[in-house]
Amino acid sequence: MYHPRTDVTHRYRYVPTDFVKHLLTTTAIIAILTMVLSAVFREPVRPALKIDAYATAHPRAFMTVALGDLDGTGKIANYGPPYNNGTGYVQDFVQRWVGVIHPVFPKQDFILTPLHEASHLDPALNGPLKLFDSASATQQAQWESAMGLALSNARVVSGHVLLPPGAYGPVAPLLQGLLKLGQSGLMTGALDRSPADYQFDNQNSLLFLQGKPLHDAATKLELKGNQWGIIHEEDAPYPGPWWMTIVTAIYQIPFIANASAADALALGFGMLLFIILMVAPWIPGINRLPRFLGVHRIIWAEYYRQHQSSSDSSKDAG
Amino acid sequence: MNWTLYVRQKSAVLFSLDTWLPTELPEYATGIMYTLGSLTASSFVVLVISGILMAANGPQWWTISPIGFYLRGIHFWAVQSFFFFMVLHLLRVFFSGAWRGGRERTWLLGTLALLVAIPTAFTGYLMRGDFYSQWNAVQAKDGLNALGFAWFNTLNAGQMYGLHVVVFPVILASIIAVHLAWVRIKGVVPPYPAPDELASEEVSHVSSTD
Repeated sequence: MYHPRTDVTHRYRYVPTDFVKHLLTTTAIIAILTMVLSAVFREPVRPALKIDAYATAHPRAFMTVALGDLDGTGKIANYGPPYNNGTGYVQDFVQRWVGVIHPVFPKQDFILTPLHEASHLDPALNGPLKLFDSASATQQAQWESAMGLALSNARVVSGHVLLPPGAYGPVAPLLQGLLKLGQSGLMTGALDRSPADYQFDNQNSLLFLQGKPLHDAATKLELKGNQWGIIHEEDAPYPGPWWMTIVTAIYQIPFIANASAADALALGFGMLLFIILMVAPWIPGINRLPRFLGVHRIIWAEYYRQHQSSSDSSKDAG
Repeated sequence: MNWTLYVRQKSAVLFSLDTWLPTELPEYATGIMYTLGSLTASSFVVLVISGILMAANGPQWWTISPIGFYLRGIHFWAVQSFFFFMVLHLLRVFFSGAWRGGRERTWLLGTLALLVAIPTAFTGYLMRGDFYSQWNAVQAKDGLNALGFAWFNTLNAGQMYGLHVVVFPVILASIIAVHLAWVRIKGVVPPYPAPDELASEEVSHVSSTD
């Protein structure tokens, strides 16, 4: 509540201060503190997951991810706006309304285009590519389905995926070729090539990795959403972005966690709470709450003590 | 009053030495509780200086150079310090009911600074160039896409870099600057009156109206 007589600063005694010294002191404190913390504790870092390392360590999983991009069952292939016209991950009308502003078509962009580029170095890919490109969609789907079955029964021997016999046509040599490209270290460049040739955007290489590869690595580090991952640092026990604790907590509410529009709900709800904080001075009840909570007695303890003793002494004098 | 005169008069107060470097403060606005805001602002200064040094050397530098890595560490701990002192400052301000006496806008701008600080820090996390950057970039995209913020493409390192080193810091610095100016112009909120103070106010009010 505003007390016009007591909220006016000129009614109070002023004490001399040197604000230049004050600001220089606080800045020096933070500068020294951060320099010492960085020297002693360094900072958290865990090397990025690279496509070549993943393709070498998990060749069968790599080919499974690639098959999902080729046959359209992968998350990004079926995502929807802003990447394509799929419907799999459209949470609300706003997402549809924004439209396809970052077009990504995994079958072409993640698999066939890199293979066409790789065919300049590996001409053995030309035949399977030609066969696949000229086949009907039904035929392609049959090959892909047979390849899925073969992959689930495949064995990995020293970095090579040994497939059981199957009617997978050119899909097997194509995915074997993609595996070689992945293991070579050239695939990130093939995915992130921009028309201008200058590289500032790593969207496609990240989208290629974003399913099983990144999720498996994140699960081990307890970084997933249901593991309170938003506020964890990858390299424990470093502090993470703990200022996101409230949003992370919202993600743990079953009603939100299990909703199909979980992200929209959690972020929307978090924003609503923040707006309440922002407009607290105008909300009846909340704007008077601090006075009744009494924490101000600790904040201004010295002021109250001095005033209490001065008013006591004036009473005594009176 | 014409608008140019209005701008001149407001600017005179906004940019005055008395606003930014006072020589006296109210008696109740001293001590550690009133250092939290300054420590937040000082953390921001350290962030800006370390950030400029890093930006001048380019985004690859801090992932491969020992000096760059050390600076990245200073930047990291300064972010922690910035949020730590900002939240303590927010708590102090909340429990003081600091919006009293026409200071609501100052509170609003302070909370807005916290809100803008979140994407500022987040885009920085995407610039680390490690697994954490990759993971946060792919995880954040779904929520942003769902809320209609697909333009903010967390997977586009070039866009995130520009937002982190220029766009967000400039917005944040402007908000902090006006917030500080308003704190000074309005004066720091006085303590809640003690019960005996209120009682004497009441008595004097009654006797003056008699």
